[in-house]
This record gives sequence, structure tokens and C-alpha cells, in this order.
Amino acid sequence: MTAKSGDPVSPTADASTPSTPSKSTQRVPAPESPQAIQTRFRVIAAFWAVIIFLGFPIWWQTTSIYRAHLPIQEMVDWADGKTCRPVYPLEIQVVAPSLQLPESQHLLRTTQHTLDDLNEFAAHHLRLKLTNDTNGSPARAGNDGTDTSDSNSEDAPDVALTVHVRPEEGLLAPRSELQPHTTQLDVFYPPSQIPSPSTSNPPLSIFIAQELQRLYGEEKATIAHILSGETTGLDSASPELTESISRRLRRSMKYAETYHLSFSLFTPGSAPSSWDIEGAVQEYLAPLLDAFSPISNFTIDTQVQLYATFSPMTPAPVYDEVEAAWTLKKEDLSAFINAAEWPLNPSIGSGPTLNFILYVPDPSQSPMIVKENRASSWIVPQWGGVFLLNPPLAQGQTSNPVYLEQDSLQSAFKTFSHQLLTLLGTPSTPSSLPLRLQTLIRVRAASLLLSASSTMGSLARLTESLPSIPIPANVASSVSTTLSHLSATCSHLREGRFNAALASARVAENEAERSFFEKTMVGQVYFPDEHKVAVYLPLLGPIGVPLVVGLMKEVKRLVAAWKARKRV
Amino acid sequence: MISFFRLLQALCLLLLVSLAAAEHTSNWAVLVSTSRFWFNYRHLANVLSLYRTVKRLGIPDSQIILMLPDDMACNPRNAFPGTVYSNADRAVDLYGDNIEVDYRGYEVTVENFIRLLTDRLDEDVPRSKRLGSDAGSNVLVYMTGHGGDQFLKFQDAEEIGAWDLADAFGQMWEKKRYHELLFMIDTCQANTMYTHFYSPNIVATGSSELDQSSYSHHADNDVGVAVIDRWTYYVLEFLETQVTSANSKLNLGDLFDSYDESKIHSQPGVRWDLFPGGEQEGRLRTVVDFFGNVQNVEVENANATEPGSLKEDLAEISRLAEKWRKRGEEYSAILGNSTQSQSENKKSSSVGLAPKKTVGPTKMAEDNSWGKRLYKTLRLLQKAKPAGCHTTEQKALLVPLICSRLVAQKHV
Repeated sequence: MTAKSGDPVSPTADASTPSTPSKSTQRVPAPESPQAIQTRFRVIAAFWAVIIFLGFPIWWQTTSIYRAHLPIQEMVDWADGKTCRPVYPLEIQVVAPSLQLPESQHLLRTTQHTLDDLNEFAAHHLRLKLTNDTNGSPARAGNDGTDTSDSNSEDAPDVALTVHVRPEEGLLAPRSELQPHTTQLDVFYPPSQIPSPSTSNPPLSIFIAQELQRLYGEEKATIAHILSGETTGLDSASPELTESISRRLRRSMKYAETYHLSFSLFTPGSAPSSWDIEGAVQEYLAPLLDAFSPISNFTIDTQVQLYATFSPMTPAPVYDEVEAAWTLKKEDLSAFINAAEWPLNPSIGSGPTLNFILYVPDPSQSPMIVKENRASSWIVPQWGGVFLLNPPLAQGQTSNPVYLEQDSLQSAFKTFSHQLLTLLGTPSTPSSLPLRLQTLIRVRAASLLLSASSTMGSLARLTESLPSIPIPANVASSVSTTLSHLSATCSHLREGRFNAALASARVAENEAERSFFEKTMVGQVYFPDEHKVAVYLPLLGPIGVPLVVGLMKEVKRLVAAWKARKRV
Repeated sequence: MISFFRLLQALCLLLLVSLAAAEHTSNWAVLVSTSRFWFNYRHLANVLSLYRTVKRLGIPDSQIILMLPDDMACNPRNAFPGTVYSNADRAVDLYGDNIEVDYRGYEVTVENFIRLLTDRLDEDVPRSKRLGSDAGSNVLVYMTGHGGDQFLKFQDAEEIGAWDLADAFGQMWEKKRYHELLFMIDTCQANTMYTHFYSPNIVATGSSELDQSSYSHHADNDVGVAVIDRWTYYVLEFLETQVTSANSKLNLGDLFDSYDESKIHSQPGVRWDLFPGGEQEGRLRTVVDFFGNVQNVEVENANATEPGSLKEDLAEISRLAEKWRKRGEEYSAILGNSTQSQSENKKSSSVGLAPKKTVGPTKMAEDNSWGKRLYKTLRLLQKAKPAGCHTTEQKALLVPLICSRLVAQKHV
């Protein structure tokens, strides 16, 4: 090894091989003193110490992504439906004051038997229970049907329905009557048909079983439809029923804790410019909203918009001589709302907005109806409803009334109530509203359970598939809250406490959404590997090369020194 | 014969199911311009033209997310202040009087865009700035700006990579935030932006191949810059001249067939493979499936009597109202008339109505307080100064005055 002249590295080369005298005639620098060698060693060691003990940990710390531990397997199991099979045992109280105890017990047993035979969707079954508490139960279950849980103790299942069995003279066959505003079914039977404990299949129990089956037919099909992933439903359900269920699920809003109801009065002219909206809401809407209170909350806002014109693309209404009215074609109704100009913005707060539009046509175009079926209202799925209000015009009067009285709003607000029921996904049978709302609670609990579970699955898959996404600790805690509430929901369902099930499913859904939409979990800016090289190379090149070369030389020197010592 | 009928019935049912699967329930549009500065006037015009089109076809403002990084209408270099045109004939003022920009100026960042798509936003972000799409929504994403191989610049400051975009769409699919998605991009080497997409139900189309530029269409000599890009221009030409109503039956196939490379001066691309059924199925989607707002309205038959129909519900609702009234009467009878107002209060809160203060129209006449008068005089004085410029002293003066005015109003 020869040292090159003027090369600043040469002293090191010389120093590393002090035993071979230089043959060069040129002047070489004096050999380094051991002191200097030691200093240099220390300098290099210090640099490397800083890099290894300070630089590297800092780099590691700042570039690593915090990923909290998530129970991936458990989450996936929930999503796949392995952890929980939701079941719906509905408790039905049977009150038969006129029957002897053995008779009524026999009736109950045979009815239950027939019910179980009829049922083909095992997850949803009816459990009959005999009570003699004739005074207490109607008052308790009869209030609204939905607030039964308040009076019930914590662990008792909700009573879905009370069946009153009563004798009635002059009947040939048993008949039933559903009380429209309570959760009570009255069954009347001819006194001659009192089931004797000897008959195995009395006609009365068959009748009751069939009635109950009919009452819960739609609910059963809906829940089966939801639980099966909205692909198939019950085999026995008629195609019409399946179609109507899937249509209803399509047009109804997603479940939310709070809905905003926005009532808007639109008119193309200057009148009516005011309406008795407070009175109308109190009078026609408040009862319904009260009945919905176990399911969702509502906030209301209202507006009046004058000179609201159709968009230029909307086909104008046509005067129909036969109907003596201005008609809108059904296929043009989707363009009725002038989305570009009518101020129908969603509400500021969280939760979806349902829009209800009261349109008062200009007197020159009044009355206005839908051509096909003379209807004056329609539903826009997942958005709201429209009602055409044609105020009665006095002879020769050319302007609308300036103020709309509460009475003139009655039909509109009744229709809005109906539209609200539809948009919130209330099933159409049975014909008692409390029962329908109870069904809605069960249906909503099922869909929330599924949606929270599937969010868990999505989050698990996301965590696996995007290694660059950070997962903060609060996501982990949200996930555990979700999972615990999911299992609470599942057990509430199993024990027939549907209000409680809905409440915990709601928490599970909220927490699941929060964990998925965690703000800091933005896997932003993916760097391909060549970008990383491009970023690090200019940084590490100038620093790294001297460091590495210095280290190598020092190691080489040490190795040589060690060898020399060994030879000696 | 019977078995034949069965088969027919089954087929009909199958058709019904497949139709139901193809249906979507809402439409959303995300329209993004990513470049700033006056010479990028055309990108803003691109986006605003498309905004106008989707609004014309019925998507409401609440379902359009419009991201504009710059305000060309109010740019001091704009010879026609307050307006934006996408054509030298200046027939249509795109700025108009009714546009709603959701993300503006420095809010248009890669981070905000990805947050918007994945909905990872603060809780206090209003609904109008969120993409509220769900499993039934068709989403149109249109982007324009300056880009390159697998990236698109945002505001000359940062860039979004094709991977980021693919991951964002992947997360949207994972959380069921779209039913079908049409991705359109007009930038140089645009087709590289959708190469990494992996989530299903996406149709993607871009203006130019790898190593190709996207060109502007023409310049307006009075505005002084190019006003629209070529690809967007011809897409819009198709949309404006062919898709004239929200009921148009033209499909995506027709739209993509209308691309003319000799006019566009670059090779537009379409990616079908993510779409179930591929190109064949995708071509059949109508243009208004993405650019329009589909509303399958359901007219209520006032005469029907089946369960759940209007008439039945009305009967039940009136029974409910009757019961409600009775209960109210009983309640007030129990409590006596002295507490009637209280009971009413209770009633309204049990309904779950937020106890909102009624916001009535405020009477302007009562507002003649001294504070207001002083404020007015000050405003008059101010008018002598150039509009819109407050000197700091003036501001300092204004603050207590405004406050006192508010206080005065409150007391009234």
C-alpha cells in the first residue's frame, strides 16, 4: 500500500501500517502520536454512540406508527355472525279470567304447541304466559305499548302482547279483535267450545295460534330478511311481502338517534305568507313523536319561502278538462323539487334531516294534483315528503289566503305523519300502532346489531390491509365498548328485553362508528419505496459516507493492531 | 305446462331481484379543483361547469361537495369581476348568484380531501361539508389540476398519490359509503391516477395516457387566460347537448364513445375491470345515474286501504291524537288549572323536541337605540374610505360599539 502525495488520508494509512517503512522519496508527515490516534478513535466512537443511542431511537420513535392492539379475531367473528345469533323470544300474556286454571293451562299448552309447529323461523318465536292479573296488565301494557319496560322490573322481559280470552254468547266460531291503540288482542269464543283437558288439539287454541302467527308474520319476515343479509327472507313469505319489505327498507332512513324534521311552506306567489305551524305541530305531530320517543328523538324547524318557482327543466303542470285540475305527471315528480334554488339544506347538527314540503300552488294553477291517481302527496325515499295543498278559493278570488289556519293544515300534517311513519321504516301490519312501533324497535335492534358488527369487521380488515394507518388508544377502547355492548344487546334479545336491547345496540353502533371514523386514523400519504430512498439518500449520503468510512478504517486499524500483538 | 309457468315466475323474480340490486337511492358529487393562481383559471372553470351541470340534472347543493382552492371571480386580474366563464363567448356566468363552495382556499388540501372521502372529520364539521353517502349512493368524483405519473398536485404545495386515492376509495367501500362510483380526472397523465384502485363498483375515466399532457381548449383574450380544458370541454359538450333532461336514457357507453382523440389531443382512458360485469354491464349505466339525482318518488294512493296505506295510517294517527288530547285533559284536570302552563311545558319536552326558543321575526323599528345610530354614523364616515378596508384604529373603535349595540338590542 502506497500513500499518495498530498492525500490527507495518507497519515492514517501510514499510521495503520507503521512497520513498513515508506519507500517514497517524498516527504511524509510525521507518524501520528498514539495520543492523536486515541483522540480520533474517541471522536469516531462518540459520533457512533450518538447515532446508535440517540439518533436511531429518535428516528425509530418519530417514524413508527402507533397501533393499539385490537381484538381482530373477535371483531371478525362478530362480523361473520359467529359470536351471536340474535333470537327474538316474544312474551305474550294470556288472560283468561273465565276459564278454570287447569283449563286455561291446557289451552296455553296446546296453543304453544301449535305455535311451535307453525313457526318455521326459529330465531323469532312467541312464548305464551298465563297471568291472572287482569287488572294490572291492561293498564300497564295498554298505555302506549312501548313504555311497558318502564314499569317492568329490570330483568323481566317486555310483554309484547296481551291476549284476552273471553266467552261470548251466540258465536259459532271463535273470532278475534285487535284493539287499535293498545297492545291487546281480544279473542271471543262460543262458551260451548271451552277446551276440555282431554282434547289434544282444541279448535280454540288452533285459532289463537293462527291469529298470533298472522299478527307477527310481517315482523318475522322483516327480521329474517335483515338477518339474512337482505338477500333472501323466509321461504314461506310471499314474493309480494318480500318485495314490500325490501322496498320499505330501501326507502326508510338509516337509523339515527336524532332526526331533524324540517317543514317548509313553498309557494310561487306572495301568499300564503304565514301558517299556524306551531299549532299544527302540537296538534297533529306531537302525539306521534311522543309515541316514537323510545326509539328516536326529533328536532323541528320550519320555514316559509315565497316566490319559489319550479326549475326551468321541470315540465309545467297541464290543465286537465276532465279532472278540472292542473295535473303533474308521475314521472315528472322527481323534478318537482327545485333542488338548485329552494333552500333545503340539511340541519347544522348531527343526525339526518327529513324534509316535509307543503306546496301551495298559484291560484292560476289551483287545484294541482298528480295526474295518474289524483293524489296530492308523495314520498321521496330517504329524503322526505311533499304535499300539494290547494286552499279553497272563493268565487272570483284571485289570491291565496295570506294565513293558513290550523284546520286547513290538518290534512297536510296528517299526511306528513303518515310519511314520517313510512320514512322511519314502520312496518305496515298489524293494524295497531303500538304493536307496529314495538316491531320497529325489534327491527331496528336487529339492523343496528348487524351494522355495528359489520363495522367491526370493516375496521378489522382495514387494520390488516393498511399497515401505515395509525390506530390510537381510544379506538381500542371504543372497540371494546362496542363489543361489550354488542354482547349485551345479544343477551337482552335472548331474554326478550327489546327496549334495553335497542338502547345498548344504539351505544354499540355509536361507538363502532366513532372507532371507524376516528379523526386521527387517516392513512394519509402513502410513500412508495423509491420515494423513501429519494428522501433519505441526500440526507444520509453526506453524513453517512464519512461515518461509515471512518468506522471501517478504525476497525481495520484495530484488527491490524490485534494481529500484530498476537504475532508478538 | 305448470312447470313452465313456475320457471317463468322464478325468472321474473330473479329479474326483480337483479333490478333491485342495481338500484341506488341517492346521488352525491365531489368536484375538486386542486390548483391555485390566476393562470389556472381553467381548472376552476372546469369544476364550476361540471357543478352547474350536475345541479341542472337535479343533484341538490347539499349533496354536492365543491372544493375550490382559489377565488377567480374576485381575483384582481379578472377583467370581469365577480364572474367566471368557461367559454370565450361568455354566455353563461358560472359563478352566478347561487353557488355553494364547501371547501375554499387553503381548506383544499390532500388531508381534507381524504378526510372528506373517509368521513374522518371533527364532530363539529357541519353536514354540508361532509360526504353523507351510504350503501345506496352513487358517487361522482371529478378532479382537475396539475398532475403527473400517479400523482396530482394540490395547491402547488403537496400531492395526492394514486395509492392514497385507491386506499381512500377502498375504505369507502369497506364502510359501505358508495353503491357505484364514477371517477373522472382531467390532468396530465390522468389515466395513471386510477391504476391502483382495487375496490369494486368503480368506473374510472381520465383525460390522458402516461406521458401525455392534457391540453386546454381555448383562451379568452379578454380574460387573458385559457378558460377550459379540452377533455372537460367535450365531456360537457356531450352532457349539455345530449343529456337535456333528468330522465335522459343515454348511458356511460354513449358518453365514452363520444371521446374524439383528434379533438381532445390526448388519449382518454376508461377502466371497467372493477365494475361487476365489466365493460358490458358498465356501459349500460345511464349518465344520470351519476350526474343526476335519482328519486323514485312514491305517490300515495289516497283511496287504497291495504295495511300501511295512507288511509289506515291516518286513522291510527287520529286515534293517537285523540288519546293524546284526552291524556292531556286528564293530566290538567288532576293538576288543576293553576299548573296548566307547566304541564304544557312538560308535554313538549317529553316529545323530545329540543326546548328551542321560538325565533320570531325581530322588529326592526325597536332597534333605534343610540348604539345603532352611532354605528350608522360611523359606517357613513367609513364609506369615504376605500371599501372593505378597516384601519386598526377603526376596528378598535368598532368593537365596543357593536357590543353595546348588541346589549341594547338584548334589553329591548
